[in-house]
Amino acid sequence: MPRWTGAGAPALRRGPDMTEILKTPARWPTILLGRARAKDPRDLDEAVAAGAFAGLRRAIRDLGPTAVIATIADSGLRGRGGAGFPAGEKWRTAASTDADRRYVVANGYGADPASHTDRTLMLLDPFSVIEGTAIAAYAIGANEAFIAVRAEDADVIASLSAAIGAATDAGFVGEDVSGSGHDIHMTVRPVQGAYMLGEETVLLKALEGKRGQPEQRPPHPAESGLFDRPTLVHNVQTLAAVPWIVSEGASAFRATGTTGSPGTVLVQVRTPGGENGVAEVPLGTPLREVLGLGGELPAGRSIKAVLIGGPSGGLLPPDALDTPYDFEPLRAAGAHLGSGSVVVVDDRTDLLELVGVLTRFCSNEACGKSIPCRIGVKRLAEIVARREDGLLRPVDMELATDLATDIVASALCDHERLATLPLTSGMRYFGSDFDPARRPQPASTEAPR
Amino acid sequence: MSFVPGLGIVKGMALTLRRFFEPKVTVMYPEVRLDVPHKFRGRLQLLYDEWGTLKCETCFQCAQACPIECIDMGGIDTRGRYHVHWGAAETYGERREESALRRSGRVVPDPAYLPFAPVDLAQVDAILDEHDHDPARMLDILEATQAAYGYLPVAALKRISHETGAWYAMIYGTASYYAHLRFEPAASAEQAKAVDEHRPAESTYLAALDAALDGGGRPGAPARA
Ligand SMILES: Cc1cc2nc3c(=O)[nH]c(=O)nc-3n(C[C@H](O)[C@H](O)[C@H](O)COP(=O)(O)O)c2cc1C
Ligand code: SF4
Ligand code: FES
Repeated sequence: MPRWTGAGAPALRRGPDMTEILKTPARWPTILLGRARAKDPRDLDEAVAAGAFAGLRRAIRDLGPTAVIATIADSGLRGRGGAGFPAGEKWRTAASTDADRRYVVANGYGADPASHTDRTLMLLDPFSVIEGTAIAAYAIGANEAFIAVRAEDADVIASLSAAIGAATDAGFVGEDVSGSGHDIHMTVRPVQGAYMLGEETVLLKALEGKRGQPEQRPPHPAESGLFDRPTLVHNVQTLAAVPWIVSEGASAFRATGTTGSPGTVLVQVRTPGGENGVAEVPLGTPLREVLGLGGELPAGRSIKAVLIGGPSGGLLPPDALDTPYDFEPLRAAGAHLGSGSVVVVDDRTDLLELVGVLTRFCSNEACGKSIPCRIGVKRLAEIVARREDGLLRPVDMELATDLATDIVASALCDHERLATLPLTSGMRYFGSDFDPARRPQPASTEAPR
Repeated sequence: MSFVPGLGIVKGMALTLRRFFEPKVTVMYPEVRLDVPHKFRGRLQLLYDEWGTLKCETCFQCAQACPIECIDMGGIDTRGRYHVHWGAAETYGERREESALRRSGRVVPDPAYLPFAPVDLAQVDAILDEHDHDPARMLDILEATQAAYGYLPVAALKRISHETGAWYAMIYGTASYYAHLRFEPAASAEQAKAVDEHRPAESTYLAALDAALDGGGRPGAPARA
């Protein structure tokens, strides 16, 4: 794997493989993409002039580890990786667990192939991720930090490696960070080969060179993670918000978003015939406004559903568009933040086909460790396929409901808790599309699959 | 103890009878859960479903959990990709090939045994040196080995196991999990390149998603590099 340092780095390719940034209302604050319009995102001097590493300096000079953790806890920052776990709590656990070594892992894997939010952030402002990771490492007392990215994404690897090289030369990472006496060695770790690598315990397994299957929790990685040491695993967006919080203060962060979930998140909005790009959205923004970023549907088409959360996302009906884009309200409605993807499904789409695509992907990508997941989700995918072929057995839909309940109840990892969502939310809101009577039985006399 | 004829059988039958009349308990999993050991995988029995398909998904969880590697298995993996084998290779190809050789004096021309063929280990030794023989860097070692040989020969995996101290079963478990690692030479250079360049599962998913959404989202949008 090539490692570039500041000077020799190839120029960033802008163009087709750079996801578009959608225009957002001027009143929305930019916490994550504030520096995204820089001419060269890998130019350290330009980034520092725009405020990069001010947070790290403040953390080291004015605050010290305990106050940094308190600030993060006060800010109410929640994990952007999907589950929304309070960051401050994780930091406290990681810092207070007895250990000879601690680690920070930035999760930039971006498991959902259709969502480029994390990738966009790492390309447009690699320093925010690096600075956030450094602050986290300083606060919990970690000397080693890894930024895990996709091995097939050469642009991101080059961008981050160059940025780490530049930051090391300037003394922001490496030995004796900014005169604090604390060493933070930061490495980009390319991983590849499975969707599940996005899940934190799987990612840690991959970094240890093991088979990528999730572990039972507790103990959470914050207590016992990489090589059984306390490990802070955070999504890159969570970490990128940290420098902003440390320099601007917790209450400034709380001014954005909702009381329960302050701050902003990156969302990948996709509208048929319209935009497909990334936008920074304050948490709690009504779905309607988020969809608005993607532009209008072409004339004559109407919204049939919204798919929120990626391959294991939920399908919401048009009358749920007032739901705030926030962790709990989306969960209650039957979707989840997931990979930050929001897809408008228009009236030409066959929901059943869509659910089939999603469920099959979830089933194929299951790691195989837990049986309800490995076989249960596969059976769900088979039921949807039978429904698509018009070969449904009379008890199938009931079976699907039962099976989904059991899969969720006996889940080992979050993947299987969520993999049932496309089907269950589809059946919940769009019952008639799933009604076995609606599709004609095919003429074929093939035996049922 | 003096020998009483038939005592063994009486003892055995007594146990059978006792078990027979004991109350049976059905635990309503997943509502009710028993406390089971961490690595418990249930009773190992290869069952068939109502369509006659083997229920075993060849996930190797049972073999991987077994601390003394006494579970062996072989077959085709669930995605139809590889001839998989787990456990001491001598239980399979090598020993059989050897004894067949001994008996008939000729090589058994069975392609299933090809992965067991010896390879020149100089390259894997160099790779191991470069990675400090460190089992924590297993993925790097495996990726470098595949780059050197074009695939992961069993002989190389055994060398890695021997040199790093990691169990063969663990290495096999790691190697069989990641989609970019393979155990057989690619059919052609183009195929190897195509697989390396793009994860098939992802491009299939993206294409199917675009098709389901009627391709309206992003005309001509490039797949992720
Ligand atoms: C199937 C699955 C895939 C996931 N993929 C990602 C991912 O691509 N990126 C990510 O940051 N978190 C992903 N997560 C969530 C992580 O497990 C973990 O919660 C997160 O990295 C923790 O960071 P946070 O506290 O910042 O949310 C995934 C979880 C599951 C169950
Ligand atoms: S390989 Fe997996 S599915 Fe097959 S018997 Fe073992 S644990 Fe069960
Ligand atoms: S994905 Fe591994 S147990 Fe479900």
